[in-house]
Amino acid sequence: MALSLTVNGEQRSLDIEGDTPLLWVLRDELGLKGTKFGCGAGLCGACTVHLNGQPVRSCSTPVEFAAGGEVTTIEGLAEDGQLHALQKAWIAEGVPQCGYCQSGQIMSAAHLLATNPAPARNDIVAAMTGNLCRCGTYSRIIAAVESVAASSLAYDASAAGQER
Amino acid sequence: MAMNRRDFLKVSAGTSGSLMLSLSLPGCSGMPTGYTQETGEWKPDAWLEITNTDEIHFTLARVEMGQGTYTGLTTLIAEELEVDPEAITPRFAPVAPEYRNPLYKLQLTGGSTSISTSWEPLRTAGASARQMLIMAAARVWQVNSADCSAAQGRVLHPNGRDSMRYGQLVELAAKESVSYDIALKPASEWKYIGKHRGRLDARAKSTGTAVYGIDVELPGMVYSVVTRPPRYGARVKAFNESDVRAMPGVLDVFEIERGVAIVADKYWRARKAQDALKVEWDNEEALSLSTHEMFASYRNAADEDRGESERSEGDYEDSLEKAEKVFDAEYSQPYLAHSTLEPMNATAWYRDNSIEVWAPTQAPDLGRIAAARVTDLSPSDVTINTTFLGGGFGRRLTQDYVEEAAAVAYRIKKPVKLIWSREEDTQHDLYRPAMLHRMQAGFEGSKLIGWHHQIVGPQLLDWYVRNAAPAQHPWAPKFMYDTLGKVGLLAEGIATPKDMSAIEGAIEYPYNVDNIDVRHTHTDPGVPVTFWRSVGYSHNGFAVETFMDELAHEAGEDPYQFRRKLLMGQPRHLEVLDRAARLANWDTPVAQGRGRGIALFKSFGTFVAQVVEAGVENGAIKVYKVACAVDCGQVVNPRIVEDQIEGGIIFGLTAALYGEITYEDGQVQQSNFHDYQLLRQYELPEVAVDIIKSTEAPTGVGEPGVPPVIPALGNALFALTGKRQRSLPLKADA
Repeated sequence: MALSLTVNGEQRSLDIEGDTPLLWVLRDELGLKGTKFGCGAGLCGACTVHLNGQPVRSCSTPVEFAAGGEVTTIEGLAEDGQLHALQKAWIAEGVPQCGYCQSGQIMSAAHLLATNPAPARNDIVAAMTGNLCRCGTYSRIIAAVESVAASSLAYDASAAGQER
Repeated sequence: MAMNRRDFLKVSAGTSGSLMLSLSLPGCSGMPTGYTQETGEWKPDAWLEITNTDEIHFTLARVEMGQGTYTGLTTLIAEELEVDPEAITPRFAPVAPEYRNPLYKLQLTGGSTSISTSWEPLRTAGASARQMLIMAAARVWQVNSADCSAAQGRVLHPNGRDSMRYGQLVELAAKESVSYDIALKPASEWKYIGKHRGRLDARAKSTGTAVYGIDVELPGMVYSVVTRPPRYGARVKAFNESDVRAMPGVLDVFEIERGVAIVADKYWRARKAQDALKVEWDNEEALSLSTHEMFASYRNAADEDRGESERSEGDYEDSLEKAEKVFDAEYSQPYLAHSTLEPMNATAWYRDNSIEVWAPTQAPDLGRIAAARVTDLSPSDVTINTTFLGGGFGRRLTQDYVEEAAAVAYRIKKPVKLIWSREEDTQHDLYRPAMLHRMQAGFEGSKLIGWHHQIVGPQLLDWYVRNAAPAQHPWAPKFMYDTLGKVGLLAEGIATPKDMSAIEGAIEYPYNVDNIDVRHTHTDPGVPVTFWRSVGYSHNGFAVETFMDELAHEAGEDPYQFRRKLLMGQPRHLEVLDRAARLANWDTPVAQGRGRGIALFKSFGTFVAQVVEAGVENGAIKVYKVACAVDCGQVVNPRIVEDQIEGGIIFGLTAALYGEITYEDGQVQQSNFHDYQLLRQYELPEVAVDIIKSTEAPTGVGEPGVPPVIPALGNALFALTGKRQRSLPLKADA
């Protein structure tokens, strides 16, 4: 089927079977390899992207469900050439080991902070529990998310009243 | 086995009068060395390449699978070269004898050996290059080279004002010669080694730009999936070829050694075609056992054969007669999957009578043998390109997925990427073997006088030598591969030491007991097995340190003090044990509803002690805290050491709480992360890692965090419940 979707701000048109998972469309049709295949069943979170602002498991999302929608992947997280605050924190904390799960981890964290800029530790743990990491980087992930949450609190305090 | 620097550096005159540094391993050389006018590159040795525009490339001969070689090994060479590690661009090594792991005589990354085997060679390589650059500058300035120094990629003039960039000097440096015994910097002058620094690969891995095997893209690439038999060892009898060919996008479907391969223009189309595939299997030689039968066969083997003696001290039989009390216990552990988050995959392209492979592999030279084996090509016709690895843990030491991709590429003559599903990755893994341990100990009064440990299970090299032996003997004709695989390594004697995979950790029992008897009863039920993070230590740690805990309780002693008393003359064991106990406040009472357990295990040269605090919440085991002390000698990057130890703890806890592959009628019962669970974020305990400052040579850190946490958790649950669990995984309601 012919369909179009907006990926990282760019309109893309495709002719593809509608049941193809969004993951393989992003990776193989659009060349966005940052989103990873881990389990194909929505169990590990390595394929997490944002669809219309919501985190989805792209391995289990048929592309027809995303038709007409807006998709953001790890490649689209940076703005104006500036890495997302979470990406900077990931680098500063040295979060990744093998790194394979980290695109998905960062996309889950980015959605959390977009909806809750100052999450408590429990909120972070709850938001990140769907993302598996076989290397065991969990504590560095928490530290990285907390560092961004703390700096956003400081920012909010200094720019009181302004929209984030 | 540290390589002597004198052995390692061999200087010989090149054709243009320049000097070449190369490894003096047999069969080596062939690396381009010296200065190349056209490109402006100077290659002082097998690892470094410095250009006249100041680019520094470092050939990384140990793959990056999360354990930190990309950062750690670069740090070693940077320290002596006098440049910031950030100024160096690592790239993954091609297959070449120079890049073999000297411990294994194979180009493989495993056994927690990357830092320990690179510690001297890479620092020496950096120092040699630096020295040649300094000598070149001294010659230009007409000063004594001993009065010059180097810093931040420049050679500094003795006058303290002038300096020259390395790039300006490379052409001249290529003409210099270095002495064998270059003094390495004393620890007091280190700028990067031992410092808490970030990872050089963190940016690529936080922006989605790091290229893993699964990300390789080639022009006109097609996709392949393989249906393998549900029962290991079954053969294809028949399949519905025409139905599959009729599916959209299918380019080919054919039998390969391992099953039936489907090739399609898109991955998803290959998967949908696979749904339409029906294979009839010939199960005559297939595995047919169930898990309980496998353990029954282990018990039979143990009854019939006391096993090969692997360590004997004093006279154990005699001590039994003297003993006033004798205790016995039997422990068992299941098969375990690796579950790398990047499933097995490889990309291959056959053209012009040669094959090129891109693969996330821990052993590229074995990959070359694997690709040659399934084609009519010889190993020299095979090029292996290594990528970042989405986890390894020993799984990618075996090259079955490379073999499959090569077989498919050879037939279809197009670039092809072969990807395993998670279900395939779980069910067609080569597992950490299931093991059985029979333990016995005798006391005379309160003194432990006898220790007996009978290990029952397979040896890994039986499964591994198939590709390893030909890789070590690349001159051997292909018809000899099978023979080499069966006898080559072991008969050769020099190539591989005794197979330690079943007994490692058990034979190094560290406690002062007069009579020790460690045996291995070799039995193999035919389940494919391979190396798994911490290998034999992973199961021997549980058996030894749980039984020690049982004995402490039988003796009415505190488990920490009981161990302590038996560690006279073992200062490094004692130090980590004391530190872990202190870190965990062992002497203070534990909170209501919790238990504390302790364990100590040395593996890969590294001493690790851990105290786990655990309880049971809502019907599930809850791990609250893990306190860990580690002595791994000199630390190159403390942050990465912490991460590796903590990662090992989480890996061990995953095995202790969930890990279990079971068989019914020869078929694996688990398939994906719902029934083969990994520890999740909400289960993360508070982990504290105390790294002991040491000037001893560095030892492994990738694996040693795993073994002690499993018995420490079991021991904590015993302290809480009074019920001893002797098989894994641990249960909340045991």
